[in-house]
Amino acid sequence: MWSNDFNQKTIGSKAAYGSEPTFNLDQVLACPACDLLIENKPVQPGEKLICPRCDEILLAPKSNSVNHSLALALTGLILFPYAVFMPIMTLDTMGIENSGTIFDGIISTWHTGYWLVAVILAMTSVAFPLIKLFLIFWISLNLKRKRIPGYLPQMMRIYVHSDEWGMLEVMMIGILVTIIKMHHTAHIHYDTGFFCFTALMLTALGSSLALDKTEFWRQIEHGRIQG
Amino acid sequence: MNSLASALTARKAGLALCHDCRKLTPLNPKEPGTPACPLCGASLHFRKPGSLNRTWALVITALILSFPANILPIMVVNFIGKSDSSTIMEGIIYFFQDGSYGIGLVILTASILVPCFKIISMILILLSIHYHWQTWMRHKALLFRIVEFIGRWSMLDIFVIALLQVLVNFTNISSIYADAAAPYFAGVVLSTMFAAITFDPRLLWDA
Ligand SMILES: [Zn+2]
Ligand SMILES: [Zn+2]
Repeated sequence: MWSNDFNQKTIGSKAAYGSEPTFNLDQVLACPACDLLIENKPVQPGEKLICPRCDEILLAPKSNSVNHSLALALTGLILFPYAVFMPIMTLDTMGIENSGTIFDGIISTWHTGYWLVAVILAMTSVAFPLIKLFLIFWISLNLKRKRIPGYLPQMMRIYVHSDEWGMLEVMMIGILVTIIKMHHTAHIHYDTGFFCFTALMLTALGSSLALDKTEFWRQIEHGRIQG
Repeated sequence: MNSLASALTARKAGLALCHDCRKLTPLNPKEPGTPACPLCGASLHFRKPGSLNRTWALVITALILSFPANILPIMVVNFIGKSDSSTIMEGIIYFFQDGSYGIGLVILTASILVPCFKIISMILILLSIHYHWQTWMRHKALLFRIVEFIGRWSMLDIFVIALLQVLVNFTNISSIYADAAAPYFAGVVLSTMFAAITFDPRLLWDA
């Protein structure tokens, strides 16, 4: 049924989908959540293509995706060391002050002996967010310069898989809960790290939201065919 | 008669959707071995291999781990030589008694309601596939999307304890430490997240 010949990439199926459809592989897309084949209609930025069977969002193009993700990822990378290594806040109880960084949180968890928890903390609040920012930065920089090195598809795959393991937003809520929890018992000063962390969380979230995966893959594929 | 059965899927058309780059590639199901995606190199399958068994295993793991996670103390508070350990639920009750309803509700949602919701939903979805329940399809699809989305938020309590451990560390006066339930609780969060990753939602529609 299938020929490897590039020109013969047409699907002829009598099963369903209209009466007797014949379409090109570039003109269909499949829903990742229910496998339905759908006609690939051009969608404008701001609009969405939603699966008619299961309501999964199939396409949600972002305008100027490469530039926006590049700028936000770069900002995030600059903020990163400050957010992780600068004190988040200082607690003042009976005249004794104590401040802490995100990094201290991981180290002190390691010292309690719960190394699994410490590793998960390090991965979700430092390693994965940093990897994600670096990958977004590097991939969008290459796309902007119209260069597709051979390792770029692999990098993009790592990004797709690491997406949900960066948990800066959850840590942000954790910081807020800690503040609300402690504000009765101690006086709290906000330190540089708090503002840097907030800014980092917002830029990291922004860079993930600005990144249009479909468009990135399309550019990678296009660049490889040409190069 | 059923629009579900007649819908043309990628698999029926002999096309495999790459899980990583979403490129469609013609795949012959009779050919042995797993071919790689021409664009990104990921291995191509019509469905995630062993999805149901892996998801069941991870959901059951999460269910088993949630017992020690809730029974053992998750946090120890030392205050002037007196040490007091509390489970997740005791910590939440303490917030409510203290009048901090908002924060109590946040921790209750993240640490108890969300993990319960994830485990129950995944069991429901898995059973629905085993017994071919072909009703409420869109709702089940939505349920799985919610499970995927809320997965990471259960980590909240672990983050709060790690921060408190550093900030409330006034030698001899008061200090806070993570306790025995912490790794089990982290295990529940991890295994439910992996369950959502290994589960292939397309199996719901294959029925
Ligand atoms: Zn769908
Ligand atoms: Zn691929």
